[in-house]
Amino acid sequence: MGIDQDGRAALEAGMTLLSVRGVSKRFGGLTAVDNVSFDVTAGELVGLIGPNGSGKTTLLNILSGLAKPDSGEILLDGTPCHDLAPERLAQRGVMRMFQLTRVFRRMNVVDNLLVAGRALGLGADEALSRADALIAELRLDVVRHLDAGQLSGGQMKLLEFGVCFMVPPRIALLDEPFAAVHPTMKEIMGGFIRSRHGKGQTFILVSHDMPVVVELCPRAVCMNAGRVIIDASTREVLNDPRVIEAYLGGQAA
Amino acid sequence: MAPSSPTSPLAKTAGAQLAASKTTVEFRAALAAMAVVALIPLGVSNAYWLGVLIVSMYFAILAGGWNLLAGYTGQFSLAPATFAMIGAYTTGLLNHYYGVPPLLGIVAAVVVSGLIGLLLGRAVMRLVGPYLALTTLSFAEIMRLVASNSIDITRGDLGLGVAGLLNSRIGWYYLFLGALVVLLILFYLLLRSKAGLFLQAIRDDEVAARRAGVNVVFWKTAAFAMSAAASGFAGALYAHFAELVTPELGLIGQTGLIVSMTVIGGMGTLAGPLVAAFLVYVLSEWLRDVGGYQLVVFAALVIIFARFFREGLWGLTRTAVQRWRRA
Amino acid sequence: MSGIDVDLAVNGLITGLFYALMAVGLSLIFGILKIVNFAHGEFYMIGAYAYTLIALALGVPVWVALPLAFVAGALLGWITERTLMRPLYAGYTSWGLMRDEYAVIVTFGLSLFLINLVDKVIGPYAYRGPSLVETSRVMLGPVLISGHRLLAAGIAIAVIAITVALIKWSFWGQQIRAVSQNRLGASLAGIDTAKASAIVFMLSGGLAAFAGALLSPVINASPDVGVFPAIKSYIIVVLGGMGSVPGAIIASLALGVIESFGAVYLSYQYRDAFGLILLILFLLFRPQGLFGEKGREV
Repeated sequence: MGIDQDGRAALEAGMTLLSVRGVSKRFGGLTAVDNVSFDVTAGELVGLIGPNGSGKTTLLNILSGLAKPDSGEILLDGTPCHDLAPERLAQRGVMRMFQLTRVFRRMNVVDNLLVAGRALGLGADEALSRADALIAELRLDVVRHLDAGQLSGGQMKLLEFGVCFMVPPRIALLDEPFAAVHPTMKEIMGGFIRSRHGKGQTFILVSHDMPVVVELCPRAVCMNAGRVIIDASTREVLNDPRVIEAYLGGQAA
Repeated sequence: MAPSSPTSPLAKTAGAQLAASKTTVEFRAALAAMAVVALIPLGVSNAYWLGVLIVSMYFAILAGGWNLLAGYTGQFSLAPATFAMIGAYTTGLLNHYYGVPPLLGIVAAVVVSGLIGLLLGRAVMRLVGPYLALTTLSFAEIMRLVASNSIDITRGDLGLGVAGLLNSRIGWYYLFLGALVVLLILFYLLLRSKAGLFLQAIRDDEVAARRAGVNVVFWKTAAFAMSAAASGFAGALYAHFAELVTPELGLIGQTGLIVSMTVIGGMGTLAGPLVAAFLVYVLSEWLRDVGGYQLVVFAALVIIFARFFREGLWGLTRTAVQRWRRA
Repeated sequence: MSGIDVDLAVNGLITGLFYALMAVGLSLIFGILKIVNFAHGEFYMIGAYAYTLIALALGVPVWVALPLAFVAGALLGWITERTLMRPLYAGYTSWGLMRDEYAVIVTFGLSLFLINLVDKVIGPYAYRGPSLVETSRVMLGPVLISGHRLLAAGIAIAVIAITVALIKWSFWGQQIRAVSQNRLGASLAGIDTAKASAIVFMLSGGLAAFAGALLSPVINASPDVGVFPAIKSYIIVVLGGMGSVPGAIIASLALGVIESFGAVYLSYQYRDAFGLILLILFLLFRPQGLFGEKGREV
């Protein structure tokens, strides 16, 4: 499932990795996601922004199989995947990071990583060496023997990061990874994302941290009240009056 | 029971080797305990007490199986004793009505219990915590009622007579011990494999496990099936030891004992429940003559351990040994 | 409808009333703490013993012993909540986030503890509680009922009605419902969630004990007398919907009637199995019961 060569080639070829088509989701009377459509090309780093309650997390839930869309479809590499279970999507290369960090608290750092490695098809030795490499890259060496529940919040986030990248996914969905994170950790995570992106990793990055979005994402999709209101280069998006109104309007409410 | 070896030597690639060493330490400690149990008949020849130890081994197997399901996978079933009863009746009925030899009957018991466990596990897949406990509790009670009331087939509370397997108590002692050690080894191998990683991941956070690609449906069901098969095995062995099968095997009180042993020993540890099974059962028999408050004490211990010491006696021992080593 | 059917229906409903006393408390506990109390049957047991022993050993009149039984149950409920349950939400058990599992084990252990304690301290023999009245037979239309049972049923109706009224209209009743809906929100709004939980446990314990006391002339007090009533109440709480008091009452009456007719028309032997089978079916296909919130699923 390595993407280096394929990813590069796909990006150059402009291949569509993920295609969201007319996806909607309702909860009772509330339409959380309203006819959302966009494509993600292989190797892109797309920012997904929007005020609280705009439907970003619900969309991510749908993309990662934790929720089923009421209508519309999602294609991964051209194949429909919106009705697959989360674990099947993970096997297909859709990796999702949670906004509220989820790690295996009573297992140590290494084991946390090994779960993903082994579940996604790596052999024992290969999983172990990859885990070691990730631990070094994420500066978690000092705590590798601790149970995940004993880590600080930032360390847990880094660990979750590692879990998502044990096997480089086709597409990585990051749900507000920089929220409430120490600047040093932000550096590490930012560097991590940048380096992976350089090798052709595709990302959808949900974030409220505008400087980070500007820095990392060439392209941004902005949602409000369940709909996509603009999908363009980040510069255009952040200067768009509708986006400004969505954020300010959201704050005023 | 103190661990028999110092902290495992650091492996070439630290990682999982060190992680596995926690399980390995527990495994070695459990083996050491089994070695002690193996030597007991050299000093004790009283048939009654040998019998008590044999029953302890029966409970040790049940506690181990339940620990796999509840301690390592997080599924709190209240039916472990029921599967022992199912196993016992499987071999019992086959033997009583069709003259099936005990060894074959035991194999059949494992298969039948495992299958029923598989079905039950699949059925309760989406239930959590209290819902799961209630469903398995109802299953347990229904099974016991059926066994009790089907007097024509099972002879109800009178009990079903079955053939014995060995003639000597010592023989049974080592047969049970052998079975216990084999299961211990199987559990150890399982926990060290990727299955062990997956089960614990499911216990800690099922959603995160799915996100990481773990086939949760498969492994939860597998845990149920394995636990049930182990219980059925123990029940079948016991049936031929006692040469009688009654619905008493499936009483909720029996499950209570199993749960107590596992909690006091330390849930999610390999050695804890095994050792605690012996401690609890032997003590309860010993104190029976002295006053009989043992069940009250054990139940109180369950509450205290659940409240304060989740890792049970094993956890306390490990902490004590670590402190002593540092001093 | 034949006379027998009316008899079965009335008796079923009366049994259902006693079930309701047990089930309402359990439902409230689930609503407010989202856990099942596996020691619930032992509150029933304590009530049966308290009533019986106070009346017989101390010679206290039954009309005093009865409320005292309620008090005994409430006291035990308070102690349980304070020592075992409060830490659950204050977060200082060693179980961290596995609240459900902790609650199952701890209340299961409590159940074992109480049963064995009573067995040892008081003895395994059954004690027959004194009847409220000595009239043995009363004609209620075509139905023949004992005086005690009829009176007990009347008291049960009154107590249930008072409980429902308290939950609906009293200050603490509203607090409790708020906490049941949203614990965090309620505490942010200034509600003392710990106290609300304590009150619920006391109420639940008291009601169960009351049921044990009322039924002790028929179902004599013994250490494990609470096991069956507890199982019945678990069934009812699921059927009616965990956390729903009206659901618990309706399901109680329904179960009483189903068992009553089932025992005669289907199988006397397996009369206790009907409820269990219903429980399994509901848990598998409709875990939220008739009126409950949708159960937590993965």
